This record gives sequence, structure tokens and C-alpha cells, in this order.
Amino acid sequence: MAETAKLSHTAAIILQALDAGFVYGFSIMEMTGLPSGTVYPAMRRLERDELIRSQWERQAIADAEQRPARKYYKLTPAGKATLEASRKRYPLLERLIPSEEAKPV
Amino acid sequence: MSPLWERLLRPLPRALLSGASIFVPRHERAEWLREWHAELWHVRKACMPEDYFSWAGEQEVLAFCLGAFQDALCLRQYGSQRANNLGASESPELCILCLAVLLSTFLAAALLLPGVRAVQALSTPEFAPGLVLIYDAGANNDEPTISSGQYRAWKRLRQRYFDGFAFYKVTQEAVGREPDSNTSHAQARWQIGRATPNLFRLMRTQVRFQSPAERTESNMPEIILSEALWKREFGADPHVAGRMLRLGIHQAKIVGVAPDGSWGLPGNVGAWLLQSDSDVLPNGLGYVVAHLTPDGEAEMWTQCMRITVYGPNESEDDLLGVSLGAGNPGPWGVFLFTAFLALLTLPATTSVSLGEYAVCSHKPSWSRRLYRWGFLGAKIALLMPIAYLASLDLAYGCTRLDVTTAVYIQLVASFSICLFGLNWALRDQRQRCPVCLRRVVHPAQVGYASRTFLAWNGTELMCMGGHTLLHVPGLPTSWFSTQRWLYLDSSWSFLFPDSGSPIEGKLISAFPHIDLAS
Repeated sequence: MAETAKLSHTAAIILQALDAGFVYGFSIMEMTGLPSGTVYPAMRRLERDELIRSQWERQAIADAEQRPARKYYKLTPAGKATLEASRKRYPLLERLIPSEEAKPV
Repeated sequence: MSPLWERLLRPLPRALLSGASIFVPRHERAEWLREWHAELWHVRKACMPEDYFSWAGEQEVLAFCLGAFQDALCLRQYGSQRANNLGASESPELCILCLAVLLSTFLAAALLLPGVRAVQALSTPEFAPGLVLIYDAGANNDEPTISSGQYRAWKRLRQRYFDGFAFYKVTQEAVGREPDSNTSHAQARWQIGRATPNLFRLMRTQVRFQSPAERTESNMPEIILSEALWKREFGADPHVAGRMLRLGIHQAKIVGVAPDGSWGLPGNVGAWLLQSDSDVLPNGLGYVVAHLTPDGEAEMWTQCMRITVYGPNESEDDLLGVSLGAGNPGPWGVFLFTAFLALLTLPATTSVSLGEYAVCSHKPSWSRRLYRWGFLGAKIALLMPIAYLASLDLAYGCTRLDVTTAVYIQLVASFSICLFGLNWALRDQRQRCPVCLRRVVHPAQVGYASRTFLAWNGTELMCMGGHTLLHVPGLPTSWFSTQRWLYLDSSWSFLFPDSGSPIEGKLISAFPHIDLAS
């Protein structure tokens, strides 16, 4: 995906949230206020366009915390470049979700 | 909230997720469910207090789960897009399936539409061979010209060329649908053919709904409806036999329905009233149908023959005998005629070549070639019944149309469907890879029109399986008049790492020195 790719507001916010450290679907929902029916399909599209990639948490970690393993999402280099281009286009993105708000995973 | 409600609501989110997972492509379903179940666990933990039931929390959880449907549908859409990219929509199996569905639809319509069912049952001409209509040579054959006296005289004498005669005359009469209906508003005026009782036996015409047992039991005058009148006045009711009609002061009983499209008898008769000779023949002019003996048939070289009748005072009457049954060929005959006509017309509308270049050194194997021809044959084999049934549905679906109009509609519809169907079958075949029979895609315009006389100009398409390229000339020239297949050998395989899918976004050309335009 080229840097100049056109992103919707939703996709740009999700990329910003991921960059800020909100790395799974429900945390992005909580951060952005977007419903599940918007967030998860948008992440499928971003993953299809290779702007983000997903990885399952190790089962041992989940077992130790007595919860199911979850799927984490991460920006790819192309996703980071696209996010940079989006920040120039939407300067409020960074102020909306600053990086320091990131939660520990 | 009672514990019962709680017990009922608890499994609902998981049930919703399971329901939504139906829309997810099968190979992605397990992972998709795993992710949503994990997320659900965290949503529950965040929204639902542990020590008491919260309606607001349940609502949040349910709203979260409803979003799974949008996610599942989104995945399904991507799945179908990927399938399209792999050429599933261009596969030969899908093409045959679509044609089979179309055929089933028209077949179902033909079985359901009463008009079509009726014509299929009635349309087979059941003429005895050697039937002629006799009329005065100086008159039009639509006019009644034979007197009842002449008919009686011919019937009485032993004839060399004829072994049977039937007579009928046509009158317009008021007919009441109910036996006791004398009021004018309950009556309609029909063209009644008053015929001698042997008319249908002589013609060996199939009369539908006729019950032989009923005929012998009743002494009442019998009426046989024409097909057009049966459809118009009785809505093609299959239980019409046995109903009573009133003709003038007499009553008559409907005993069946006869096909009128294939008769060719003049008079535009709506219903046939079978009466004894004495009732039919008192006076007036009518029509005579005669059956030829073998000697008569031997004399009948054409559709028409001249007959000379010698009268008692050495007078001579010049008559004409016109063969019956050569008129309307019936729906099947119309279809065969139009299919033949479409085959004749086809080369004028499209090239019948399949794009094979004779000089090409590479040829597919015999089995592949057989498969290819089999596919073309299957398409045509499915197209022909589609054309027949669709034209029948169009022509005879509406029971209000008269037979002549229906025949014309069938003629036009059948010819159009046959011609365009065959045209499509050939064009579709030319656009399919000879190896895998998938349609070639991603057209790329090659060259410039101004270079037609110097270089190649046309369109290039490729098989998604990486087997072939198709070159279609933009302007046919003496050296490149029809499309050509270029078979790709193993040196091309680096362009198709996955045999099912080409590299997206790459355009390749068999002529690298020529510019590619997207």
C-alpha cells in the first residue's frame, strides 16, 4: 500500500490507536468509542491491505493469567508510513490519541 | 431480574457469535470464533459486575456481539472477492450450472403455465394422411362452395379416388353458457361449425378430455370446442368436458377440446356441433373434407390437385382439392425451423472459428481437445431446450392470445434465442483457455492503431492458470485475421507462482517491445 493511500477517518483513528499501544480490538473500541461492528471489519481491511498484522498471544501467558489467549495487532512498516501520511492530513489525530496514553500489554 | 432471566441471557452472546460464524468462510471460522470468544471474555469482565446482575452490562455485551455479524459478512465478502480473483466465476462448471438453472426455470414455467401445458398436449397433429379440402375452383377456399346435395351425391356413389367424405357449414349463433340462460347478456355469439358426426373420425384428430363411455351414454348433441375458444371463454379449464351449453332452443354438451392451430380448415370455427346428416344437410353451402384412396394419393403430386366432377347431364364441375395438415407445423416444427434458420444465419453474425491458428506448433492433448469440444456441445445442448421452452412460455403463456399470434411470437422468440444463444456460445468458447476452459481476463490494449500496417495491434487476454495468452487483432489483416492462442511454456511460469492466481497488478505482454496500456 502506498503512502498516499486514501484512508477513511475510522481507519486512520484505528492506526493511531494501534500506534499508541492499544493492540487488541476491545481496547481500540474502548479508546475510540467505535462499535465492534466498525472496529473489527476495519481491522480486517487494514490487515488485508498489509497495513497491520496480527499475532496470537502465547497460550502460556494467557494460562498463567487464567484467561483466554487474545489476538494482538501491530502496525507494519507500510502501516507506519501510511499513518505518518495520515497525521499530516489529519493533524488532530495525534492529539486525539496521544502515544503516552498507551496501555501496557 | 430473576435468576431465570439471567440463566436465559447468559448463553445468548455465545449463541449470537455461533450464528454469525455461519457467514465466515469455513477455513477461517475456527480462528474467527476463537478471537471473538477471547474478546467476549474481556468484554464481560469489563462490563459485567461479578456479584450482581446488570441489565446495562448485558446490553453492552449483546451490542458487542451483534457487531460480529458485520465482521463475519465483511470476511465473507473478502472471501468471495478472492474466489473471483481465482477465476471461480469464470469456470466452465459455473457456466454449465447457470445454463442448467435457466433450463430448469423455463421447464418449471412450461409445466406450470396452463396455456403451455395445453399446447404441449394438443399440438401434435393427428391427421390421417391423404386428407383434402374440396372447393370450387373458381372460388376462394375460405368461402363455402359445396352444396349439401353435391356432398350427398358423392357420398352415395362409390369413388375411385376418395373413400370418405365429411361435411360442415359455419353459422354464427348465440350460445348461452348456462342451459337456462335466455337473456342476451348471458349469451355470446360464436362461430359454430355444424358438422357431420364422422368429421373427427375421418381426420383422426385428437380430441382432448373426451370420454368414450360418456359419448355412448348420451344422446344429446355434442360440442367440441376449438382450442382458442376454450382458452378465451373457459380460461383453459381442464374440467370443461360435461358442461352444458344452450344453442337457440336446444341444449348441447361439451365433450372435448380440439386443436385449431394445426387444422387448416376454413371458416374460423370456434366450436364444432356434431349432428346427424339429416340435421346438417337440409340446405345451404358448406365445406367438404375428403380422404384419398391409395389411387388418389398417387395422383396427388403436389399440395393441390384439380378434380373434375361429371354431373347427371354430362355437365362438368371443376373443383380443387387442397391437402390438409401441411399448414401449421406445431410448436416443435416451428422450433426446428427457427433453429435451422439460426444455424444458417450464424456465420453472418459471428465468426465460427474457435481461434485456432493452423501454423501453431503446440496443440493441447486429445483429452483436452475432447473436453473443450464437449463443453461447447454441452452448452449448445442446454441452449436448444432453453430456446424451445422459453419460446413456448412466451408464446403460449398468455391464454388470451389466438393461435396465429402465438405461432408468430414463438417464431420470433425461438429464432432470436437460438441465434443469440449460438452466437454467445461461440464467443464464450473463443474467450476460454483451451487448456483449462476458464475465461481469459485482464485485457490489455497492445500497440497503436496508427501502426496497424507496421506492427501488431489488438487486445491481449490471459488465462489465470498461466496456460495461454489470447491475441485478438484490433483490425483484421491478411496475415492476422482471427484471434490466436499463444501457449505458454515453462519459461513463463515465474510469472505465475500460484497456478490458480496470477500476480496481481502485473500486466504481461507477448510483445515486450510494444507499449502496454492499462
